[in-house]
Amino acid sequence: MVMLKQSYRYDQTTARLEVEGLPDYSAGHAEQAIGILSTWRLKIVGASELEGKREHLEALMQVVIPYVRLRLSGVVRSLGALHDPVRLVPDGAQHRLDLTSGQPDIPPLSIHLDDAQLADLVRCLDALRSDGRVCLAWPSIQHEPLHRRDLVERIPLTQRLTAPLLGGATVVVLGVLGILLPLPQIQPPSPAQAPEVKTETPISDPAQPDEER
Amino acid sequence: MTDVTAEAAPDPSIPEAVLGRRALERLDLLLLTVESLDLNGGEAMLWATRQLGFETIFPNRVELWKRRCHNPLRRSTRRGQLSAVETEALIRILCMMADRLYPMLHQLLSSKEPSELTRQRWELVHQRLRDLIEERMNLRRGAIQRFLGSEPEGPLQRQLVLTLALAAGPGGVDRLRASLLDPTP
Repeated sequence: MVMLKQSYRYDQTTARLEVEGLPDYSAGHAEQAIGILSTWRLKIVGASELEGKREHLEALMQVVIPYVRLRLSGVVRSLGALHDPVRLVPDGAQHRLDLTSGQPDIPPLSIHLDDAQLADLVRCLDALRSDGRVCLAWPSIQHEPLHRRDLVERIPLTQRLTAPLLGGATVVVLGVLGILLPLPQIQPPSPAQAPEVKTETPISDPAQPDEER
Repeated sequence: MTDVTAEAAPDPSIPEAVLGRRALERLDLLLLTVESLDLNGGEAMLWATRQLGFETIFPNRVELWKRRCHNPLRRSTRRGQLSAVETEALIRILCMMADRLYPMLHQLLSSKEPSELTRQRWELVHQRLRDLIEERMNLRRGAIQRFLGSEPEGPLQRQLVLTLALAAGPGGVDRLRASLLDPTP
């Protein structure tokens, strides 16, 4: 049986993603399908062409797609650790894609993307993931609502601190005012006006036994 | 343009997305941004409704308008919440419209375009969005006044256009739904 290499391309204005591979006949794939990915190439306008193995492409997906999800909620935060193969970092109005090779002789590469390029890149990745001809089990990426603490970060610190600081200052000011207010002078009662205390002898001492009364 | 019609069938795995007040405001504002980008946006939305098979939910323009009026910032607002099916339909219509308008969104967001041209494009979009807001929204609301007082390429407008660009395409539906379901901080 002749194994024909398949190649599919996903084009956007500033990005082109190309995947090459073979159908996995043992899994019952058709001739047009890709079941074994041999290589992929990503060309972003103004940057070097990237290529790698399947795990590199998966790492790219696992960083870019969740990063875009965060941006949709207005959260600006980097994704990926410092020495991870792929890292996406906010860089002013742009986004910096840091790529670290597993081979020691290849220096790390940084690509600056503007918002339009980021959107193009994620559309290429979306198109690949949803392409029925590419029969690969891509890593699952679940989009969930963010936690409240994640969303709080998008509010500037000064705005976040205004309410508690104002509340604290109000309590302090009211406390100081309370201390400064003079206490009312209590006039001791004069002897002439003192109420007459009647001392009546009890009819019987309550402690006395009943027989002695 | 990416075909999203294949995803139109109701998916039982989709979570029951009932939107809160802020999310309704945001969803309607995104639809309004689409209308400001596409002069024939109202007709295009009806076309998208038919393409996605949502005629039973929004059989005509009035029904679509009535659902959008759940936005509390509207001049003639409706009480209550959108059902999960209506919410899902509106999100899918929005993503399809964003996909259709993607080249325009790309031009607005690109830093490679000539800056003067980009500025003029933003001004046009901003002016059309202002007109639509003044026509349909309650101008006494603080959020609307803040929006009307903002710059053409200010963060608010840019976030709306960026949201449309990042929500366009096959993966955009899930992303946008999740972001609309975010809790209010």
